Order: sequence, then C-alpha cells, then structure tokens
Amino acid sequence: MTETSSPEPATAPVVRWASRLAALPVWLACVTLFALMAMTFTDVILRSAFNAPIEAATELTRLFMAIIVFSVLPVISAQGGHIVVDLLDSVIAHPLLTRLRDNIMHIICGCLLILPAERVSVLAERARSYGDRTEYLNIPQFYIAWFIAAMAFITAVVLILRGLIGLFAPAQLQGTTNPTENQTVEQAND
Amino acid sequence: MTEGLIGFAVVLLLVLLRMPIAFAMGLVGMVGYMLETSYRGAISMVSRLIIDASQDYGLSVVPLFILMGLFVNKGGISKELYRVSFAFLGHFRGGLAMATIVACGGFAAICGSSLATAATMSKVAMPQMRRYGYSDSLSTASIAAGGTLGILIPPSVILVIYGLLTETSIGKLFIAGIIPGLLGILFYLAAVRFTVARNPNAGPAGDRTSWPDRLVALRGVWAVLLLFFLVIGGLYGALNFWPLNLTFSPTEAAGMGAAGAFLIALFRRALTFQSTIAVLKETAFTTAALFSVLIGAWIFSNFVNIAGLPETLLSVVTSYDVEPWVIMLMILLIYIALGCVFESLSMLLLTVPIFFPLVRDLGYDPVWFGIVVVVVTEISLITPPVGLNVFILKGVVGDVSTGTIFRGVTPFWVADILRLSLLVLFPAIALFLPAAMH
Repeated sequence: MTETSSPEPATAPVVRWASRLAALPVWLACVTLFALMAMTFTDVILRSAFNAPIEAATELTRLFMAIIVFSVLPVISAQGGHIVVDLLDSVIAHPLLTRLRDNIMHIICGCLLILPAERVSVLAERARSYGDRTEYLNIPQFYIAWFIAAMAFITAVVLILRGLIGLFAPAQLQGTTNPTENQTVEQAND
Repeated sequence: MTEGLIGFAVVLLLVLLRMPIAFAMGLVGMVGYMLETSYRGAISMVSRLIIDASQDYGLSVVPLFILMGLFVNKGGISKELYRVSFAFLGHFRGGLAMATIVACGGFAAICGSSLATAATMSKVAMPQMRRYGYSDSLSTASIAAGGTLGILIPPSVILVIYGLLTETSIGKLFIAGIIPGLLGILFYLAAVRFTVARNPNAGPAGDRTSWPDRLVALRGVWAVLLLFFLVIGGLYGALNFWPLNLTFSPTEAAGMGAAGAFLIALFRRALTFQSTIAVLKETAFTTAALFSVLIGAWIFSNFVNIAGLPETLLSVVTSYDVEPWVIMLMILLIYIALGCVFESLSMLLLTVPIFFPLVRDLGYDPVWFGIVVVVVTEISLITPPVGLNVFILKGVVGDVSTGTIFRGVTPFWVADILRLSLLVLFPAIALFLPAAMH
C-alpha cells in the first residue's frame, strides 16, 4: 500500500503498453467479424441464386467465432467488461471495501482460468499428435486450440495483474476503464 | 439434490460479491463436478466445453444479431418509425404515447435488445411528448414498457440465449414470439387508453395528419419492413419460391439481417469508417462477454445435472401430488419475485438450468416455456425496485424521478400480468405459428 501515498502523475509503463497492445486483438476481432458477416451474406446469395454455396462456410464460421471471442477476451477482462450483478453496489459503497472486493475477485478469476487453459493446451498438443485437420480447408485443428489456450493464459495474467495493480498501486490504473462504469456490455444484450 | 442447492446458493453469494457471473457459475460448476466425479473428469469437461463452445456453429447467431441491431441503430430508422406511428395515431387522446408503443414494437422487429429499444426510442419520442404537454409519468412509462418488446418480438438476443442453453430451436422460438409480441402492443395501447381515460391531461391529442402525408411517412419505413421480412420470412420459409431457395438457418438469417442493416445504413450515408469500427468493436466485446456467461452456465448445468438436482426436484414435486399448473404457477411467482431484484440476463442464466428440466419433464413445451420466461423477463425490466428499462429512461431523460416513472408504469405492468396469464392459460397463442411452420 506504500505506493498509494505518493501519487503517480503518469500511468505505469506496463499499463500504457498493455493498452497499446490491446488494439491489436481488437482489430483482429473487428476484421474477423466483418468477414463473418460478409461470408454468410455471400454464401446465402450464392446458394440461393446460383446453387453454388461456399463449401467451407461452416468450418470458417466456427474458426471465426473462436477468433472473435478469444481475441477480445483479455481486453474485456482488463476493462471490467464481464457481466456482473450490481445489486449490492449501493450497500457496499465504501471505496476501500469495493477496491478490496473487486481486485480480489480479479485475482481469483485469473487464477481460476489457469487450470483449464493448461488443459486446453494439452488437448491442443494431442490434436497435433493425431494430426487432426478440418474437413474442407485442411487446417490443422491444433492451431485454433493453441490460440484458445494462449488467449486464456493471457486473460488469466491480465486479470491477476489488474488485481495486483488495483490492490497495491491503484493510481496507475487511472485512465483505464473503471469496472463499475462500464455498462456497454450489459446494454447491448437485454 | 442438496449439493445442487448448495451450489446454487454459492453462485448467488459469489455473484452478489460482484464476481462476474461467468466465473461464479464456472467455478461452482467445476468444483461441484469435481466432488461428484474426479479432478480429471471436471477439468476435462471444462476444457472440452471451452474448445467446443467457442467453435460452435449455432453460436454465430449471437454476434450477427447484435451487429444487425447496432447497424440499425446507426441507420436513423427509429425517427421514421416514430413519424409513421404518429401520422396514424397522433390525433387520438394519448396518441403520442400510443405511437411510441407502436414504434417500439416496430423497432423491436429489427433489434434484439430491450434496453437498446428503450434507449433509442426515448431520444426520439420523449421530446415530442414533452412538446405536446404529455405528463412525465405517461411519456416515460410508455417508452420503458414499449422498450421491453425488444426481447420478445424477433429477433431477440434473450431468446437466442434461451435456445442455446436448452437446445431449443431458435427459429421456432422467434416465430413463437410474434403473436405474444403483437398482443403486448395491443395490451400496452389499452394501458395508454386507461391512463388518459383516468386523467385526460396526461396525454392530450396531437395534430391530425392528412392521408397523403400518412402515405409519404409510410414510405420512410421500407427499410424496417424489408429487413423484417428478409430475416423472419427467411426463417419461416416464406421466401422459398422459385427460382430462389431462401430458407435460412438462424445463422444465415442473422447474417442476412446484419449485412442488410449494414447496406441500408451505408446507403443512407449514416456510417463512417470510424462508426463502423465502433459497431464491430462493441459487437465483439458483447459477444465475448455473452460467450463467457454461456460457457459458465453450461459448466454449472453439467454439475446440476450430474448432482441429480432436476430428477430430485421432479420427484419431490410429484410426491406432493399437485397438478402441473400449480407448479408452473409457483415457478412464475418465483420468476416475478426474482425479477424484482435481478437483471434480465442474470435471472435467465441462473434459473434456466434448474427449472428447465423440471418444466420439460412435467410435459410443458420448451418453446412455450421460452416465451413465458421472456415475458416474465420483460415484466422484470419494469418492476421496482430494479427495473433496468426504467433506469435507462432515467439516464436518458434525467429530470424525471424513478418514482414518477414507476407510477406511470403501473397500468403497463398490469397489462403485462394479464398477457402472461393469457399465455399460460392458452399456450396456443405462442405455439400456433411455429406449429404451422412445416
């Protein structure tokens, strides 16, 4: 807690770099999502008008979905974009209590992800040794499994780091999204 | 049974301590599964689920429908919907509030989110109702209530989530939502009439629009009609005539809707590169958050099932020797009570893994139960003390107290309860259209 007593004017390099790096997977997700939309549209048009569907559309859809979801998972975790219930927010309003609670939750969630992530990487290795490939495009299955494992690991690290920084040096996080103010995710899905 | 109930209690506790729902359900599900089987069994189940769920073809409806809703939002369609509804209804007493309800219903036909419907319509309808001297309680309440139609009239993100959780046909769920949704519009119109009959000053009549002007206004909504018929017609198989073969799977319907909404917004010059990126980004974020909760809910469901909660619940319930409808009534009361405090998606995720197997084993139709759950969720959006649609209105309008909005909402709430009762008494209201599908 000593760092909190000396206010930091600028955000720490780790936070700055993290937010710059975060732009990369977000772009990947945006491009993939647009491709998914365009491909589905084209597939339907080709199928219904010319009876010539895109054969690989189904497996590309699966691939695209995994990319969209797992590329932004670390980003929404860092920004506090997960769906939460805020019923007790007005009851537990003390700033120190909420800080302790939120950051301990971040650390717990991060630790939680490590075991499944590790297991996914084992399954990925197994798929590689079996030489599993997709039906039409012949893409090795373990690529996507490794991608999922890697992004899950990154999400775990991001959550733990965020929790630690939030506990011991909260001033460093100023300027990044505050979890209690991020409502966009909840607004779009009800 | 006890393990399942303890697990549910722990999830509730963690969620109230602000652990993200996805992690709370995932953690309890994994630990519970481990206690029932073994460590290896649990960790394998979870990691397989993560790999398979994220590559599930059926799940691709989620981002595509969200994308459609957001593009529609950018396209400025809400203004035209309101203009048309006003042209036809504005001259009645309470007509602007009625126009609001109808415009919300129209917007719901192309948007799958109640909060988005309420937020969008409040920006268009609120200034108009203020200009004509409508009382704050009627104007805000009509938007808050009308907005709830967003999740019932297809497309609907909540119905998609229900379909994915319970392996119920999303196409059938969408079609089943149409008539209850139209019924909702009618009942809300009656609620407006009731309000202005009691207090004529709450909603004075507006100007009458001439027939030629009405037809001009009607031309403005071609985009909504086109999108709705493309998506729902394609799902229903109504566009399947020679030489076209336009029967869509839900994913294809969503893809056509998203691409259609994108092209319409582009055609109207309502999109820039920046705003397109913003829409894509918001969709990706929402999708990832929804996927996390879905995976969490599936892990939890696996645990609940292996712990035998559904069977025990069923045997307990049947041992009391009561009619199934009594149990259904109890479930609905539980939903309405939970709806007072829980936000719609959380309520759905927490309750469906427990109630769905019971309801199915009692012989109720999964499609019908889905519609009932969504109607109950709609009610929860306007029920105090935590009615999210009311909060959205409060956020957008600002100078009206939530108490005023909740007071205005009361007739709409009663209309909703009536509609729910009808739906429970006459399941055919929901099941008639999907049964005619094939």
